[in-house]
Amino acid sequence: MSKDAIIAKNLAYSYGHLLAVDHIDFRVGEGEILGFLGPNGAGKSTTVKMLTGQLQPKSGQATVLGVDVAKSPKKVQAQIGICFENTNLYEQISGVANLQLFAQLFGVREFDAEALLKRVGLDGRGNDNVQSYSKGMKQRLMVARALVNRPAILFLDEPTEGLDPTSAQAIRNIIFEERQRGATVFLTTHDMLEADKLSDRVAFIDEGKIVALDTPHALKQQYGKRMLKAEVTTPEGGLEAREIVLDRSETAQEVETLFKQERVVTIHSEEATLEDIFIRITGRGLV
Amino acid sequence: MNWHMIRTLMLKDIKLYFSNRFFALITVLGLLAYIGIYFLMPLTVDETIEMGLYIPEIPTALTELLADEGVVFLRAESEEALKVAVLADDISAGYAFPNDLAQRVAAGEKIPVNVYFASNIPQEFKEIYIVVLDEFVYAITGQTLDIDVTEEVLGPDMSGEQIPPRKRMVPLLTVVVLMMETMGLANLISTEIETGTLQALMITPLSVEGLFVSKGLFGTIFAFLQAALLIAVTGGLGRHPLLILLALLFGAAMVTGVGFLMASVGKDMLSVLAWGVLAILVLVIPSMVLMFPGGTTGWIKAIPSYYLVNTINQVVNFGASWADVGINLIALLAFAIGFMALGVVVLRRKLR
Repeated sequence: MSKDAIIAKNLAYSYGHLLAVDHIDFRVGEGEILGFLGPNGAGKSTTVKMLTGQLQPKSGQATVLGVDVAKSPKKVQAQIGICFENTNLYEQISGVANLQLFAQLFGVREFDAEALLKRVGLDGRGNDNVQSYSKGMKQRLMVARALVNRPAILFLDEPTEGLDPTSAQAIRNIIFEERQRGATVFLTTHDMLEADKLSDRVAFIDEGKIVALDTPHALKQQYGKRMLKAEVTTPEGGLEAREIVLDRSETAQEVETLFKQERVVTIHSEEATLEDIFIRITGRGLV
Repeated sequence: MNWHMIRTLMLKDIKLYFSNRFFALITVLGLLAYIGIYFLMPLTVDETIEMGLYIPEIPTALTELLADEGVVFLRAESEEALKVAVLADDISAGYAFPNDLAQRVAAGEKIPVNVYFASNIPQEFKEIYIVVLDEFVYAITGQTLDIDVTEEVLGPDMSGEQIPPRKRMVPLLTVVVLMMETMGLANLISTEIETGTLQALMITPLSVEGLFVSKGLFGTIFAFLQAALLIAVTGGLGRHPLLILLALLFGAAMVTGVGFLMASVGKDMLSVLAWGVLAILVLVIPSMVLMFPGGTTGWIKAIPSYYLVNTINQVVNFGASWADVGINLIALLAFAIGFMALGVVVLRRKLR
């Protein structure tokens, strides 16, 4: 992996007596997509706020693009793009005007709002007031706004939550395009399937602590149980399920026996999901 | 009709109403403020004439008798002290009797009396004060005396001109225009805070200082331009335009500070409106007093808008100069700086 775009060292934050982020350490490489996963109240948003200079850590250090965020937040903010969970657009003005406002604040010269809108699938609607947009359109405009300065790091907070499949896919495509461009993506979500699809690595955060951090594949290898699931016919003509755990010495024998002794109707392999793994590690679900 | 259900619903509404901290606060604070304003207003403005008096000797019982008849005399230590009180607008008029009053009365000589008027006193009020003087002299001597009255207006003489009601309204309209603009600014900021757009702005290279400068400039310039337009259209820039414009600029900066305060306590348009009405109610008092002369008392100078209202009135309606209202400008500038600083500090805390 190349240079680190984000380094969190012993990072902690508390709201009064409540320790929201409990001395966490992690690194995110340049061009990497990190899925930052955890249930509501786990400390995801607080961590992002510290990484983006919105909150000063109570202890520890956040370094983004080689800059100490607490010391020079504006230097960091000039190079990042953020897509918030809640829609916070200027709804009384047009999509183009929203983008141009932020392009000017970032000092972007020769900014092409229409091209960016086209990229997120909003071409032809740029001059309409944002209040006339659907939820999916607003979310895509939020993503577009996060891209106006061609950020080196993109922080995305639940970017596809509650969106229709078309809008969600449009945003996923943009995330991959940005990664291809060389941007780092810090994806905050509690949607494990989404994280599995998009992330190079995932970090599980629970009660302010990072409880696991690895590639989805490695986590599944480490914590999950791969299985073969089959449906067989019974003598009475009904169907019954059969399960064979993979990656064991007796697996091959069990598969052979299954096909010899039973009439297999369907068969497929099944991996543990990230959600299964999260529950296994933390003992609780994501909601 | 099920009264139990109605009662239950009403209790629920009371609970919900007071669970909203804003409404609970505005209900209690607003009520206290309105009651406070009521009690701060003069109670006897239509019945009592308050005036200054320098006289070597006067029986205490006589002054009490005069007070019962609706005239309150404020005794001055010297003629100079009387003039200072009139000049400072603490009283609208004052009589200064000679030190040898008793000897002159005994000798049946003419009595010279100096009558000092505040600069903004209307002509009709001057005439009342002269009538009161005759009555006063009769009361202390028991006879009609030959008095030689010398009238002097302290400060610019504003009584020579009859000021039509609409001209008297100009300061009031100016304050209202400034405040309406301020409420617009406060609503804009509070909406930006609530919708999170301000949060988005702050995660750009824009600094907090930059944000406040832009909001402060926007609020001040926008309020100033509207007030200046109003004054220009109503013909108020004919005399000392620079002086008026400077006063409006300071006034606009002051109300922008007030706007920051309103934005920091308001959550939406309704709450900003509620706080705005409270602020307007206080800030228009000096201009209301101008509309209905005679109610002026010293406490009115504690209201920051007094210095703007007084300057506009004196310059626009009476042609006062820099020297006459310079002190007002200094006070207005001080209030502008104070409110702006307070507004920035409080709003900044909210942004955190």
